[in-house]
Amino acid sequence: MVSFKKIVVLLLILCLGISWVTITREFKKPTPVIFKIPEGWPKPSYDFSQNPLTVEGIALGRKLFYDGILSKDGTISCGSCHQQFGAFNTFDHNFSHGFNNAITTRNAPALFNLAWQKEFMWDGGINHLDLQPLAPITAENEMAETLENVIHKLQADKVYRKMFKAAFGDETINTQRLGKAISQFELQLVSSNSKYDQVMLGKASFILPEKLGYEIFKQKCTGCHTEPMFTDYSYRNTGMKMLDFLSDPGRMKITGSSNDSLKFKVPSLRNVGITFPYGHDGRFFSLTGVMEHYRKNMVPGPTTDSLLKNKLPISNYEMGQITAFLHTLTDSAFLRDPRFSPPGIQTSTKPPVDIHQ
Amino acid sequence: MMVPLIQKKISLLFTLLAFTSIATNLIAQKNITIHFHHTIGNQELVLGDSFQNIHGEEITPQKFKYYLSNFSFTDASGKTYSLPVNYYLIDEADPASKSFTLNVPSNNIHALQFQIGVDSIRNISGIQTGALDPMKGMFWTWNSGYIMAKLEGSSSASKQAGQIFTYHIGGFKSPHNTIQTIKMDIPSKPMGISDIAISVDINQWFKSKSNIRITETPNCQIPGALAVKIAANYANQFALKSVN
Repeated sequence: MVSFKKIVVLLLILCLGISWVTITREFKKPTPVIFKIPEGWPKPSYDFSQNPLTVEGIALGRKLFYDGILSKDGTISCGSCHQQFGAFNTFDHNFSHGFNNAITTRNAPALFNLAWQKEFMWDGGINHLDLQPLAPITAENEMAETLENVIHKLQADKVYRKMFKAAFGDETINTQRLGKAISQFELQLVSSNSKYDQVMLGKASFILPEKLGYEIFKQKCTGCHTEPMFTDYSYRNTGMKMLDFLSDPGRMKITGSSNDSLKFKVPSLRNVGITFPYGHDGRFFSLTGVMEHYRKNMVPGPTTDSLLKNKLPISNYEMGQITAFLHTLTDSAFLRDPRFSPPGIQTSTKPPVDIHQ
Repeated sequence: MMVPLIQKKISLLFTLLAFTSIATNLIAQKNITIHFHHTIGNQELVLGDSFQNIHGEEITPQKFKYYLSNFSFTDASGKTYSLPVNYYLIDEADPASKSFTLNVPSNNIHALQFQIGVDSIRNISGIQTGALDPMKGMFWTWNSGYIMAKLEGSSSASKQAGQIFTYHIGGFKSPHNTIQTIKMDIPSKPMGISDIAISVDINQWFKSKSNIRITETPNCQIPGALAVKIAANYANQFALKSVN
């Protein structure tokens, strides 16, 4: 009796051992990545529990971000219009180029600190980061592709099948996994290492114009461009006259409410020194142009923001100081971070100095 | 000797319990297949064929799709059984989608409830899979949210380019929530029910609570008051056809 029991126990252990070996051979668990919140920053709004970051997921997202396979003719990737050297905007472009010489109708926003953002696009029409890529993929004047085609093209690709398996455990490729992988890469795009950040941490100091500019900024600009994200993520009408050829109603397009007419999302001012041109339609070519708008050219209307009812008085002197301060928001380490460049073409594998470690 | 005896008794007890629960399940669990028959008035819907709608407008439907979910059944005692939440995309172009089987925990069904549309939580939780995969063409990528129901085609009454009409009905936020709940009484059968056939009349889209004429309103592709009106109309498209 006893020996029989022993045999059973031994057999069980053997079986478990064999199945453990097969399981581990079958699938190597992806390596978890911890998302670091910069010192003093709020809690991110992205729900990481639904999409745990992994080395493999991020690598897949990075490949997808830079792959024209997502577009109809194979030439346009996310990275075509979101360029790292422009903080992931379309550098020096009011609008971007899409499929078959099409031109977009809004300025491509810079991409960073997306984990803190709940709604996307200038009108906030998209309510989840994972869903965001579906809009440019399917837009006729951007990547002009169908989701069905994208999924079929990815499924037919051996490398992608391997990478999806490494990231998610099996070779299933569907829209959800596509969105999650791209999010994993985009969530890495944290810009928190500008001179401003270093000053706040006591590791650097402003020169006089920057310091004076910061004081003026805190009086006149933080009502909307709230620190540390330099946006409060609200939608506001800043008195930009509607352009006839665009007839863009802004947030009203999403809510259907006339109260939201001509309201657009307050953009973050981080990296603002290199994300020109400015405004939802890229109509301002320089920071000076934006400030000229606020102090002089605004066209107040019924939905114009209450903070701007009397425009925004800024003197020439103040404009100079504010500009000096705004340039301290440029995060040059972020713009050159090799982790964010197209896969395979990075020049250095060393990550930049992380001031939060 | 005592210990093994108790063990034997306990294991016997568990075996008995297991058998009893399986037996009760066998009696109470019941598969009911629901079939949807799409019509325009009394005529059977055929995509690409020409019909007249309730206003006498000529229409040639090309697409007819809608989401159903949140099925629940009420038994004779008034007790309601909510089935696990599952989403069904009924598509006229895909015959297999027009019937499906539900496992109902009672044999004595008196009423059936379900929802047309996708509840708000699924509209705000990122990308879904299966029937809810945005790849199915029932999701707005520019204004996150599901198209709850879709009716498209051409009509000689349409003043749109190409004489088309396009109704993409969606919206999950108040006051423009288009999710509709349907309740239907089911006549009882002495032997129990295995099939429920439901007819779905497209004419209700055009005339039920409000009149929608293609000649005036050939388009609805955004959430809003018009979508709510059309959703309230198509909530009446379902009628019990037969029970077996």
